[in-house]
Amino acid sequence: MKNIAYLFLAFVLIFSSCSEEEIPAQMTVELNFENTLNGKPLQLNSETFTLPSGEPFIAKKLKYYISNVVLTDTQSGAIYNVPNSYHLLGEDFKSTVELGMIPSANYDQITFSIGVDAEANAKTDQTGDLDPNNDMAWNWNSGYKFVVLEGEFTHKTTGERTGLVLHIGRNQNYKTVTQSLTGIRAGRAAQIQLKTVVDQLFLSPNALNASELPSTTIMGGELADKIGENYANGFITIE
Amino acid sequence: MKTSRLLVLALVWSFWSCQDENLLPESPVEVVPETFIPELSSSLQVGDFPQPERNPLSKEGVKLGKRLFFDPKLSANGKISCASCHLPSKAFTDGVALSKKGVSGNALHRHSSPLFNLAWHTTGLFWDGGANDLESLNFGPLTHPDEMAADLEEIVAYLIQDKTYPELFAQAFPKNPIQSATISRALSQYTRTLISQTSKYDDWKRGEATLNSLELQGYQLYQNHCSSCHQEGLFTDLDYHNNGLDLIYPDPPALEGLFLGRFRISFDSLDLGAYKTPSLRNVTLTAPYMHDGRFESLEEVLDHYQSGIQVNYSLAPQLKEGINLSPDERKALLSFLKTLQDDAFVLSHIQDSEK
Repeated sequence: MKNIAYLFLAFVLIFSSCSEEEIPAQMTVELNFENTLNGKPLQLNSETFTLPSGEPFIAKKLKYYISNVVLTDTQSGAIYNVPNSYHLLGEDFKSTVELGMIPSANYDQITFSIGVDAEANAKTDQTGDLDPNNDMAWNWNSGYKFVVLEGEFTHKTTGERTGLVLHIGRNQNYKTVTQSLTGIRAGRAAQIQLKTVVDQLFLSPNALNASELPSTTIMGGELADKIGENYANGFITIE
Repeated sequence: MKTSRLLVLALVWSFWSCQDENLLPESPVEVVPETFIPELSSSLQVGDFPQPERNPLSKEGVKLGKRLFFDPKLSANGKISCASCHLPSKAFTDGVALSKKGVSGNALHRHSSPLFNLAWHTTGLFWDGGANDLESLNFGPLTHPDEMAADLEEIVAYLIQDKTYPELFAQAFPKNPIQSATISRALSQYTRTLISQTSKYDDWKRGEATLNSLELQGYQLYQNHCSSCHQEGLFTDLDYHNNGLDLIYPDPPALEGLFLGRFRISFDSLDLGAYKTPSLRNVTLTAPYMHDGRFESLEEVLDHYQSGIQVNYSLAPQLKEGINLSPDERKALLSFLKTLQDDAFVLSHIQDSEK
């Protein structure tokens, strides 16, 4: 009787150990975002920054959505689509996205989008990070602001403190980014460090000179789409 | 004894080791409110009632939405409800061009829209169609500083501590707690039940009433001159047109393209100065007229169409020649428009709001 019990225990242990190499079936993953400007960590209400076009700049608000995070192990083909993946990040706001326990794999690629997809962007009666109480839903034009940067710069010609308001949204500015990951091992807790480079909103492919903008309040139209093109590449990168 | 302990250990181990730790406990059985579809008159010419997938009508949802609609405590100063600018007695308009009733006291830039037959407004809401649906629209008037100026988190806090609301929310939305989304969904359910379909015109269309000869002549004139945009049934084509109110459109950055009409949403130059065709139903109750309430009477509106059209690039082609009516024809047309006044609708909602 005793022997049978030990046998049973051994049997159970063999089958319950998940995989041959003792790799846990699941692992925790979190994404950490650091916002930067002029190559240093962004601080709101600080006088020590300049815009890429040279004007002294005081940032007052930075918030942005990333959504539909996908982790891929290109070797094994394992793909993990984060469910209900809408994450609002910002300076003096959230800087971490916890994916929780996800299936283990040697993930070597991350895909995510800046903004929210057309389906989620069509209606604003939503919850979680998409709750309109987050001040990112437009009231008069259903949808979400994808990237918000607000601040004041010193105008090159007038010398005056000038408000700069970028509220970039609309479906055409939903941009998907894929980046390589290194050092993630199946079964081990992983922290993915990402850098959000605010400079890139003004840099390429559309260099924007703040003091020459026809309007320093940009909430739609051609200029907003140009900023959308700018944040499509190099705005959020793996460190 | 030892054996059974080992067995238990083994069993525990086997269940513990590879289980998904995120497994949720089984959710308790919930009473889902029964959905319903309102009865419709054939004279609406709409086919059926488009039940929104994410927010189907239930008696519980409508009841909650009605309470929210008439509750001034949702506003920042506790004095303004939705009904402050959408009065049942005026087919849910307010009788002024640009209201100053909001929390800030500043005049609005747009005239308060009538609220009826909204379920079929699937081409966008607001004068410029900027809101995709009622559920998204409601956050505008709730939070705009010149309207109810509410903080959504403060509304949620108020509703949670209230004596009545938590129970009403639990009945209407058993799966969701009180949050922005369910507040807006309840309001939308109520406003979707505001269906105007009991005017003299409706009775006539169903063969239950007759129009006199003047009204019939007016109906002919309506068909010839108005029906391309104010399509029969809902008496709107649910589309956007520049009806020649202004030649040029100022664009101060702070107003985010407000005077550009539908263009601020579509960025299509043919939508410059274009606004949604308002319904002619209840038009005798919804003065003043146009998106900014600039015309005080229907006479002024007809004057505009007769001789006031401003011709520019985006003008609706139907209006290039204007609408020329003799004084007798005007009289007939206005007489027909009066048959679209739905007193039964108005009365029932005045009474309902007092319950």
